[in-house]
Amino acid sequence: MDIYIHGYLICLLLFLFRSETACHPLGKRRCEMQAFRIWDVNQKIFYLRNNQLVAGYLQGPNTKLEEKIDVVPIEPHTMFLGIHGGKLCLACVKSGDEIKLKLEAVNITDLNQNREQDKRFAFIRFDNGPTTSFESAACPGWFLCTSLEADQPVGLTNMPTEALKVTKFYFQQD
Amino acid sequence: MRIVLWCAGLAASPSCVLQKFLGAMFLLSVLIMGVSTFAVQSEEHSVAAGSCRFHGRHPKTRFKVEGEPLVLTCPQVLHWESTSAHVNVTWRRNDSAVAVPGEEESRVWVRDGALWIVPASQADSGTYICTVRNASYCDKMSVELRVFEKTDASVPLIFYPQIIPLSASGLLVCPDLSEFIGNRTDVEIQWYKDSVPLDQDNQKFLNVRGTRLLVNNVSMEDAGYYTCAMTYAHKGRQYNITRNIKLRVKKRDEETIPVIISPHQTISASLGSRLTIPCKVFLGAGIHTTTLLWWTANNTFIEDAYHGGRVTEGERQAYSENNENYIEVPLIFDPVRREDLHTDFKCVVRNTMSSQTLRTTVKEAATFSWEIMLAPLSLIVLVLGGIWMHRRYKRRTGKAYGLMELKTGHPDSQSYPSKIKEIK
Repeated sequence: MDIYIHGYLICLLLFLFRSETACHPLGKRRCEMQAFRIWDVNQKIFYLRNNQLVAGYLQGPNTKLEEKIDVVPIEPHTMFLGIHGGKLCLACVKSGDEIKLKLEAVNITDLNQNREQDKRFAFIRFDNGPTTSFESAACPGWFLCTSLEADQPVGLTNMPTEALKVTKFYFQQD
Repeated sequence: MRIVLWCAGLAASPSCVLQKFLGAMFLLSVLIMGVSTFAVQSEEHSVAAGSCRFHGRHPKTRFKVEGEPLVLTCPQVLHWESTSAHVNVTWRRNDSAVAVPGEEESRVWVRDGALWIVPASQADSGTYICTVRNASYCDKMSVELRVFEKTDASVPLIFYPQIIPLSASGLLVCPDLSEFIGNRTDVEIQWYKDSVPLDQDNQKFLNVRGTRLLVNNVSMEDAGYYTCAMTYAHKGRQYNITRNIKLRVKKRDEETIPVIISPHQTISASLGSRLTIPCKVFLGAGIHTTTLLWWTANNTFIEDAYHGGRVTEGERQAYSENNENYIEVPLIFDPVRREDLHTDFKCVVRNTMSSQTLRTTVKEAATFSWEIMLAPLSLIVLVLGGIWMHRRYKRRTGKAYGLMELKTGHPDSQSYPSKIKEIK
């Protein structure tokens, strides 16, 4: 009897407080999405300019432009990254010899880690003290970066130690 | 057409704008007359005709303080520099047809594609349009500028929020100074915390003369208002450039070792009924996002083990109780079958810190049946029925007695109240 009541109570609770389904190691199901704040160690915040993700300093009322990163974890260290409520996803795209960070209009919760073509959306996080770096799973050795200069596009670099690029971010749950 | 393009490239004086306009009109008439001939090169023509692609307003409004020098950079320029060798940048106010001059004679001028105003006044507030063009392409973007008198009321508009997590050290950055600094190495910045200047012999702050202030042993007390300032000389006058920063110190998100606190090792259930077993994980102060939680049946994922969906994983819940974080994923049987009694169910939790597995078996509960449920129910019905019958019988006999008394017509003062009671 106890189990019955417990079960029904849980069903009722689940019905009342529905959310996205849990992320699952199988990756077959829709995953839970969570917003994170991201800013580089030089305090630059992400925002969109002409559909391009850029990093810069935002003053007063401009802070509402801040783009938070929507995260769907695949593995404890691997995740899909998106913005705009998970409607635009960050991808590493190779065109010819060039490797670029691209924003693609796909729903983050529709991505599947087991699908080869979705691999470009996966990033591996590396934590070093309070900072985090993100390496593209599809483009090994390429890390998410910002320029030292403000208001420049967020991109990828294969030289994370280069002084002109910032690959260390603060990445905190919103 | 060459002349028109050349002029467009140097569209810095009013006379040139006029020439450009006339040229554009001429070109337009030529185009209308010979559309078929020019169709292939239409893009180039449209550029020459002055129809420049407008990219809209820059999302950032610039908030500046009156009396300070300011620089508006053309948002498209850096992108252009990487793709094209030579571009021409012009600026104008949207309510003026005249481009800002390239000479530093006046208070407002254009240098290296950026608009300089030294010093800014409140009247400079408005919309500025930056046009970038080369021989084959042209685009425009507008930038919003608002210049304030520095008062307590304008502080919320001009400050830059910055965040450092609680850690060994972190940086505060004096923003939007690069145009004033350029390649200069002799620039000195003065940092202030809550209007108190920071000294060089400060243990807490390092690099107090640089654009990036290093904060050592970051603590909650370091939060607050900071100001950084530098001076800029123009035409023999020194101007102050200040930036206000509001620093927030944030407690770091941390992962903790997850602990499965339920279910029990055995769960009793009746065959044929629906069953939900929640797997509840305690995370303490830890964040839940990067913690994975799932069920297995005989070491197989639930989805793979039950294609028909008789047994499923419910939705994941993340919640807090008394400031402690929990996550929960239920395993749902609809219904429980005999085979479940011999299946090895496991709840698995994993994050970067550790992983844990808890095994659960389903045990058949004492058979639940409607007969058992009906037995006490029928007993209750019987008892209630008996009481009702008894009362009904009593009421009938009472009524008969009362009538009898009335019929006999013997007034008896002593028995009167009791009669009334019985009649009732």
